[in-house]
This record gives sequence, structure tokens and C-alpha cells, in this order.
Amino acid sequence: MKIADSFVVAAPVERTWRAIRDPQVVGACLPGCEEIEAVSPTLYRARIGVKLGPIAAEFAAEVEVVEEEPPVRVVTVTRGEEGGRASNLRSDNILTLAPADDGGTRVSYEADMTVTGRLAKFGFGVMKKKAQSLASEFAGNLEARVNEAASGG
Amino acid sequence: MTGEPVTLRVNGAERPVAAVAPWTTLLTVLRDEFGLTGAKRGCNQGVCGACTVTIDGEPVRSCLSLALNCADRDIVTVEGLVPAGAPAGALAPVQQALAEGNAVQCGFCTPGILISAHALLRRNAPLTVDEVRAGLSGNLCRCSGYKKIVEAVVSASEARP
Amino acid sequence: MEFVRPDSIEATVAALQADGAACLAGGATLVAMMNADLVAPHRLVSLRDVAALREAARQPDGTVVVGAMRRHRETAEETDLRDGQLVLSEAAAQIANPPVRNMGTIGGSCAFADPAADYPPALLAADARFSLIGAEGRRTVPAGDFFLDWYETALEPGELIESVVLPPAPARTVGSYTKLARVAGDFAIASVALVLGMDGRACIHLAVAVGACGPAPVRRRDVEADLIGGGLGDTEIRRLTDALAEAFDPVDDVRASADYRRRVAPRMVRQALVEAQQRISETP
Repeated sequence: MKIADSFVVAAPVERTWRAIRDPQVVGACLPGCEEIEAVSPTLYRARIGVKLGPIAAEFAAEVEVVEEEPPVRVVTVTRGEEGGRASNLRSDNILTLAPADDGGTRVSYEADMTVTGRLAKFGFGVMKKKAQSLASEFAGNLEARVNEAASGG
Repeated sequence: MTGEPVTLRVNGAERPVAAVAPWTTLLTVLRDEFGLTGAKRGCNQGVCGACTVTIDGEPVRSCLSLALNCADRDIVTVEGLVPAGAPAGALAPVQQALAEGNAVQCGFCTPGILISAHALLRRNAPLTVDEVRAGLSGNLCRCSGYKKIVEAVVSASEARP
Repeated sequence: MEFVRPDSIEATVAALQADGAACLAGGATLVAMMNADLVAPHRLVSLRDVAALREAARQPDGTVVVGAMRRHRETAEETDLRDGQLVLSEAAAQIANPPVRNMGTIGGSCAFADPAADYPPALLAADARFSLIGAEGRRTVPAGDFFLDWYETALEPGELIESVVLPPAPARTVGSYTKLARVAGDFAIASVALVLGMDGRACIHLAVAVGACGPAPVRRRDVEADLIGGGLGDTEIRRLTDALAEAFDPVDDVRASADYRRRVAPRMVRQALVEAQQRISETP
């Protein structure tokens, strides 16, 4: 299941890059992220709760940075499991930053996700919608965060 | 098994179970506690119809019925279609019709089909092919032997006095 | 997990005020999800013995109150529903198959809010309201504000659906529900619920809701309002179907692609409106 989109934040590429590579900022912007810790500069562990109607899942996830080209591109792999390995998730993600017209930054993302196990029984149609809405919520949060940091100096 | 005791009325007999967990379905109790293995566990999602039984006269999914929620109800399984006391090997009219019509292939769906068909046949009139198809629409036959099943139920409906 | 079977609405509401409590209505969805290991409520509150939830009644003004525990089969055969309200019985008759219709309830189905389910568009077209009850008391939520997002409703934790209330349909309106599905009884690829009233060539009542084309049923009251009083020919229908299509947000799933849904649903609306007008013109 693939999702892709882009959004613009009102901050230059360098500052946006710093925000995106800061696990605390990412953790705070990610809907449902309950904790995030940096194991190394390229490996993070997080606990992320996801809810879809009556179904609630809490993923223990690892995010590994497999390739990066500061300040324009980062490739990550997310691996997670929930419910005592009742389901597994893997997502290959590419994030690219480019200057936008107004001095801001266009952030584009692509994610290719697979879910196996109990959650996969629910069907991917709605799961994809859910993933898209979480991604756009993340974008909104990040935008607010970067803009806030910008206006606060 | 953890849980609470319950008594179920199955095929006219009161049958106690010492402990039933809240999530245990009627299907599980019928098969594993009472040895009534006519109702089959196909999909366990209410889709296939192999587990169909009647509760208070209406066909329902035993895999979607929690056993604790079935206390004080009249449950009839395929084993109960033949009246108690009938000679060994006796068949209910609907069973006879399916047997004579060669309407059984692997047999897995047959108990559910019989229950649904039996409920349909309570209507006191010959049934049309469309009525039977609609009435059996919740029972899947993986052998796809629908034609003979429908014909057998139609003929059973015509044969009634 | 514990199992309780209260016999009054008050006791039910009290039993629901615990973390992880869930109502067990007909079981058609909840038990299927439990079997699939998708949900595991801490407390199952069976509504089986709450007699008040099982009733349906027609009030003198034509309002029909359908208890949350009414089974699909009962709603399909409900003689209290008249005129445009028949959109609900037509929808109920097309849910799943006879054994599931003997189990599933209107409250259970709406609380689960499957985007491809049959009741949500029918209730939206009928201008129905939900009567909800919780620890804070009763409140009424119009169908349009009840279905919020994918599998999400206005129900708060500890609250249950007590009934669904259909206002009286204007006299001589017709209600219809059409569903496109892979096989009879499957969830919809797309569905159209409508309530239509015509006075000669003038449209006097119009409500069209499309199911399975977004997180919640889609209705365009703004365009409907514009069309009231005029004719309902190709141009007018086109205005409505274009507006509806703008609001679609369908999924790609095993039943159909999002693109197919976008293309087929407007045609279904057109066909349903043409057929409903025909029915009205043929009625003396």
C-alpha cells in the first residue's frame, strides 16, 4: 500500500531539515506517538498507538535511517509489531525537501507500507485512508511546529 | 475453561455447561461440549453459513452467537431436525429431499443448508426457485452445487401435503 | 472479559461506565471481530434483555421510533414505515442474508458505522435522528452529524444508541434504496438512498444520500434545496450528481476501485431518480 503527498512549511530548507531529523520534534508531531528515543543517530524506537473505529493497536516500532542526503532527502525503514506480534508492519519511506517559491520548503513523502497479521484482516481500503489522514495530520503538526519555532526566533 | 455456568436448551433438552467464557460462541459449545458436530466452523465470521442453527425458530449464525447470550432460548441444530424417538436412520423431509436429489457433494455446507431450508419450508406453500435462492443466500456451497440443492428444496416444498 | 446482561436501560448505562465496556447487540459484527482477534472488550454488556430497545412505534404525527435492538428482518417488514420512510425498510431488506438479518440490529450496525453499510445512507436520506443515552442523560444527534469518519460516530464512551427516530415523511413521497454489490447481500460497492416528492412536474421533496463512497454517507443539501420547486430533468439531475461526486472520497478495496465507485455512483443516482419519478407518475 503506497501513500504519497506533499506540503509546504513556512521555513527555509535548513531549518525544516533540522526539525525533521530531530526525533523529539517528529515524535511530538506524529499522531499517537507516545514515546520516542534515539538509540543512535540513525536508529529510533517509538511506541505509536493507532485507532480505527473499535480497533486499537499499539505498535512498538523501530525507525532506521538507511540513507540521507542533508538537507534534502532521507530514506527510512519503519518496522513495527503490535499485540505480541499479532501483526507486523513495515514501511519504506522517502522524504524530500525542496525550496518553495515563497522562501518556504516543500516537503514530499512517499511511503510503501505492508501490514500482516490480525490487522490485515480488516482490509487495506480503509487502512490506506487512515494512513493518509495520519500523514496529513503529521504534516499539519510539523508545519505548526516549524512556523512556531520560526516566529519565536 | 474459565467462565460462568450456563444451561442451554438444545434440540429440546436442557444441557448444562459448568463454565463458559464470555467470548465462547454457541458453535464452540455445541461442538466441543455437547459433541453436536453437525454445525461446522467454516469462516467463523458469519459469512459462510455452515454453522447455521435456529434460535427460537429463526436461522442464525451459531459462530456469531455468544453461548452466554443464548440461555433460555430454544436452539435447534441439524441433529434435532428428526424428532426425538424416530427410528434410527430416519430423515426429516428436507433431508430426504436433499438425499434423493443428490444435492450433497462434500457435505460441509449441508447442515447449514438443511437448517435454512427447514425454516423456509415452514411457510405452507410451494416455493419458487427465486424464493429458495433468496432463502439460502446466506449459505455458501464451496462445491458450487447450488442447482441440485435449490431443486431439492423446491421439490420438498411441493411435496408437502 | 466479563459478561453482563442488564434488563433496563438505566442498568445498561451504568454497566457501560467502565473502561473497555462494549454493547453486545445482535453480535453480527462484534462477535465476528472478536473471533478475528480484532477486538477484546473488557466487559460485554448484552442488550438482549432490555425490552425497551426492541420496540418500534409509530406516533400520531407519523414519526417512527425504531429501537436500537430491532433486527434487520423486523425493520425490513416494518409496517409502521410509510411513504418516504420506506427507504429504511428497503435498505434493511438488502443487508446480508436471512440468518444475519435475524441477528443484526439497527443500533449495532450504526454504532459500527461501516462505510459500506446500508443503514447510514438510508437514515441520512430519511432525515433520521439518533437518540443516544449515557451517564449524562439523553441527547439527539441528526444522522448527518452521527457518522463522522471511517468507523467513527458521535457516540461517546459509555453511551449507547437507544433508538433511531424517523420524522414523518411528507405525504406521497417515495423512498427507495438501491445497492450495487458483487453478490446479493454483500456490502455495497455503492448505494443510493433517496426520498422524493413530486407535485406534477415540480420537485417538492428531495433527499439523496450515497453510501460506500466516503467515510460517511454523502448528501448535498445545498444543491437539493436549489432544485426544490423546479423540474427534475437531465440538467437538474446532473447538477446534483456533479455536486455529490465532488464530495466522494471512496476507497480502493476488494469490492471495487475508488475510480469505479466515482464513475458508477452518479449513474446510480440518476437511474434511481428517474425510476422514482416514474413510480410517482404511475401512482394514482
